[in-house]
Amino acid sequence: MTGLRLLVAAISTEARKIRSARVGVATLIMLDVGIALVCIAAVLGARSDDTVLASKLGPLVAEGGWDGYLSASTQVTAVAGLLGFGVVLAWQFGREFSDGTVTGLFAIPVPRRTLAAAKLLVFLCWAFVVSSGLILALLIVGASFGLGVPGSEIGPLLAREYGLALLTAGLAVPAAWAATLGRGLLAGIATIIAVIVLAQIAVFTGMGGWFPFSAPGLWAATSGAGAHSVVTAGQLALVAPVAAAFGGLTLRAWHRLQLDR
Amino acid sequence: MPEAGLAAVGVSRRFRSGAGVHGIDLSIAPGEVHALVGLNGAGKSTFIKLLLGMLRPDAGTVAINGVDIRDAPAMIWAKVGHLVEHPLAYPELTARANLGLGARLHAIQPTEIPRLVENILDELALRPYANVRAGVLSSGNRQRLGLASALQHNPSLIVLDEPTNTLDPSGVILLREALLRRARGDGAAVLVSSHHLDEVARIADRICVLNGGRIIGGLDPRGIDIERSFFDLIHADTRESA
Repeated sequence: MTGLRLLVAAISTEARKIRSARVGVATLIMLDVGIALVCIAAVLGARSDDTVLASKLGPLVAEGGWDGYLSASTQVTAVAGLLGFGVVLAWQFGREFSDGTVTGLFAIPVPRRTLAAAKLLVFLCWAFVVSSGLILALLIVGASFGLGVPGSEIGPLLAREYGLALLTAGLAVPAAWAATLGRGLLAGIATIIAVIVLAQIAVFTGMGGWFPFSAPGLWAATSGAGAHSVVTAGQLALVAPVAAAFGGLTLRAWHRLQLDR
Repeated sequence: MPEAGLAAVGVSRRFRSGAGVHGIDLSIAPGEVHALVGLNGAGKSTFIKLLLGMLRPDAGTVAINGVDIRDAPAMIWAKVGHLVEHPLAYPELTARANLGLGARLHAIQPTEIPRLVENILDELALRPYANVRAGVLSSGNRQRLGLASALQHNPSLIVLDEPTNTLDPSGVILLREALLRRARGDGAAVLVSSHHLDEVARIADRICVLNGGRIIGGLDPRGIDIERSFFDLIHADTRESA
């Protein structure tokens, strides 16, 4: 009964749960199709005859066309992605307490730390699917709503969007830790909302580059169309240890878990 | 301390409110059905959580098959089946899928799982609900599903906290027969907590009475007026504690 075999068993059960649950599918659709539709709506709105609307949306889709559309997508993804990924993590971890199934996760051969690791690994796979789906949705929606056939020049912009989506998924990991400590979904969701607020404050106060929860969004928003981003590679790299640290805290919390409240 | 079955020695856990359990000794031998009875708030669920590692004791030890649960390897836990408070039943999964998931978490070989699942579906009369999502099952059938998940892998130690809650009379009989088959036939050690005295008297070899977080005595399962004996113990303990 090796650790690897137990991890595989845990992964298979976690994958089964997220595949069957509405929250996984609904969040995937809302993130992928939702972000693409919001961005194309902004591009079309900026083109409209309504000067007030066009002036409001102008800064969001400045370049227009595919450039403006994909630029808008980074700004929407930085916030909506954090919320969407955070909701799924809060559900994965918090639902065991809300549904009462956590008692069934004790006194079994699979250690709770392994179960938590499996949840994070399944989330990571799901984040790859969502991020890939987002690129596909952006291409389909953009081409379908009059932006024309995309050229090879949008490759770097799509890569930036893909990277941003994955980094955002990593930054949502505190939701898993909070849902565990708070014994339910709401603690995880409240935490991710607080992270979004703090990220916005960091950006507005000029400290966004050094705040890992705002750095990817700021990087993506300021690095388009040949511009040099205000966020350095070193600042961006802080995302990995932050995600790993909260992942480690989550595993530790599950290892030490007691049902004393 | 017996080598097989379950043994708790001096188990205590006190909460900030003052409630908890205090210095409980209890052992269950293979093939024995042991019932734990007490009023609401007596400490039955707390004690069961301590036995299964859901709570850490302030003092005392718990051993399964002679192995302290703090060091118990996966193979020890693989032979434990339990249901505490809520059934392991995910609402988005069908009854069959939930049982498959429960079997995987008990490290059953994937090739073995379909046979075990089909057997327990028949044993606990869950076949009509096999492809129904747990979220739309009645609470009684969801409880039956949780019991099926706890029993399907033929554990050598079975721990059930108030398992007949929400079960209908046919479910109660099915559970009773399933437990007796595993205890008498397979030699499983069984611990069941309940506040239904007549129900536990039908299956238990021994009955312990828990009050105020302590074991205050035992009841004879074959006694004539078990309810009266139970309240005599409770009232005597209350007078002593006053």
